[in-house]
Amino acid sequence: MVRFENVGMRYGMGPEVLRDINMHLKPGSFHFLTGPTGAGKSSLLKLLALSHRPSRGLLTLFGQEVSKLQREDLPSFRRKIGVVFQEFRLLNHLSALDNVALPLRISGADEDQIHTNVTELLRWVGLGEQMFAKPPTLSGGEKQRVAIARAVINRPQLLIADEPTGSMDPEMGLRLMHLFQELNKLGTTVVIATHDIELIRRFSSPVMFLQEGTLHHSGAEEYLKRHRRSKV
Amino acid sequence: MISFLGKSPELQLEKDASSRYLPIVIAAMVFLASLALIGLFSLHSAVQSWSSAVSGNLTVEIAYEDGVDLDKKMAKAAKFLKKFPGIEEVNPLSIDEAARLLEPYLGRADIIKQLPLPRLIEVTISEGSSVDLLATAKKLSTEVPGAILNTHRPWLDKMILLARSVQFLAAAIMLLVGVVTVIIIVFAARTGMVMHQAIIEVLHLIGARDNYIAQQFQNYFARLCLIGAIPGSVIAILTMQLLSLLAGRLEAGLISAPTLILEGWIALAMVPILVVLLTTVTVRWIVMGSLKRMM
Repeated sequence: MVRFENVGMRYGMGPEVLRDINMHLKPGSFHFLTGPTGAGKSSLLKLLALSHRPSRGLLTLFGQEVSKLQREDLPSFRRKIGVVFQEFRLLNHLSALDNVALPLRISGADEDQIHTNVTELLRWVGLGEQMFAKPPTLSGGEKQRVAIARAVINRPQLLIADEPTGSMDPEMGLRLMHLFQELNKLGTTVVIATHDIELIRRFSSPVMFLQEGTLHHSGAEEYLKRHRRSKV
Repeated sequence: MISFLGKSPELQLEKDASSRYLPIVIAAMVFLASLALIGLFSLHSAVQSWSSAVSGNLTVEIAYEDGVDLDKKMAKAAKFLKKFPGIEEVNPLSIDEAARLLEPYLGRADIIKQLPLPRLIEVTISEGSSVDLLATAKKLSTEVPGAILNTHRPWLDKMILLARSVQFLAAAIMLLVGVVTVIIIVFAARTGMVMHQAIIEVLHLIGARDNYIAQQFQNYFARLCLIGAIPGSVIAILTMQLLSLLAGRLEAGLISAPTLILEGWIALAMVPILVVLLTTVTVRWIVMGSLKRMM
């Protein structure tokens, strides 16, 4: 599904923000990505979302080496990836319904089907009453739910979420994590970037820990022990 | 789905302040280009009309000589010319007729008649005949001393040269207008790309193809240009009609009113279409180029 081999990344001519990243995410796996601010989480997510290309190393997505992808191949690859941005990146002039419908419209889905699917999903995330509301009128948590609904509407093969539960109450956060789990059970590979130790404890999924641009892998238990030690 | 007349659904380019006045600029450009085109075709028509008016007609001028019977000389020249094959009609103008011709320029005919005027003979050549004008002129001046055969050719050549220069200038203005229009469109499209970069990035990341984004830009700019181009064309046609009216009132034979042949009208109607096509191609080229620099 996703394979990084000695991947490095830099912005322009700047220093490397990611160094020698090696990882292999199997189809249908569930991972947390964590690390201190500035460690390179967002950069790693950008590589996964095909927003940037690595400066060196091999990055393979869905069995294809990214550096060999033609520009015209990128949209079909991106449609297999759902991204929840930390800052939501919703289109403020579109309603919640239209924002969520966007990936389906872009891929040319039937309007009736779009309406049915989007309405159902928005109800599920608790936004049945705010379907026609525009993002500036929604709270942070509501915007985040719209962003999550937009990311999952296409049933992506890879779901990347940057602090997806950061702006919502614990109950709604849990509900959305269960949505991610449901998708994961259907075969979606999920990567969740978070600082929330409680979330890692509750879901006990493998943890990828970024520190100073390098990636370390561990189980949830092992990571939590190390975290406790560092706190002491 | 993005339709030509539909709004850009995601980019909301309609709300951009940067391109709001583009139709006014395009209207001005189309107005100038249309005027240049009207000038180009009107001059073409004028040259045709001068050529056809002059090519079948010659004038024999018999210089005024004190104490010489000019009527006798005229009759001799007319008789001589009638013998030439290919000459259809020889019409000696009386002193009254010559004075009437000069009346608009010199004043009252009865006073003009008292001036030492040369006498004129109007000669019409049969259509399709090949009269050797040089030989005819030579023989005529030998036969009737003081008689000069005027073919109007040198005058016409100078007029045609002037007309062709103005036509060249009109074509250069059209080219300049085209280049300036492209530059304006390039700046407007680039500004639009910068202003909407965040949305473009989101669209890319959720799987939009470059073509999907480029279409929103090209449809929007094409629509703006059409909104500007149609009034620009209409104002140019109204200006042409006004100039026709004013030129008609001058009642000067040489200054003809701007008239368009069928090809001219077709070219004029094509201006807004060409502007829209030029805009579409330019915007597509700019947007696709900029998108290629993004991942």
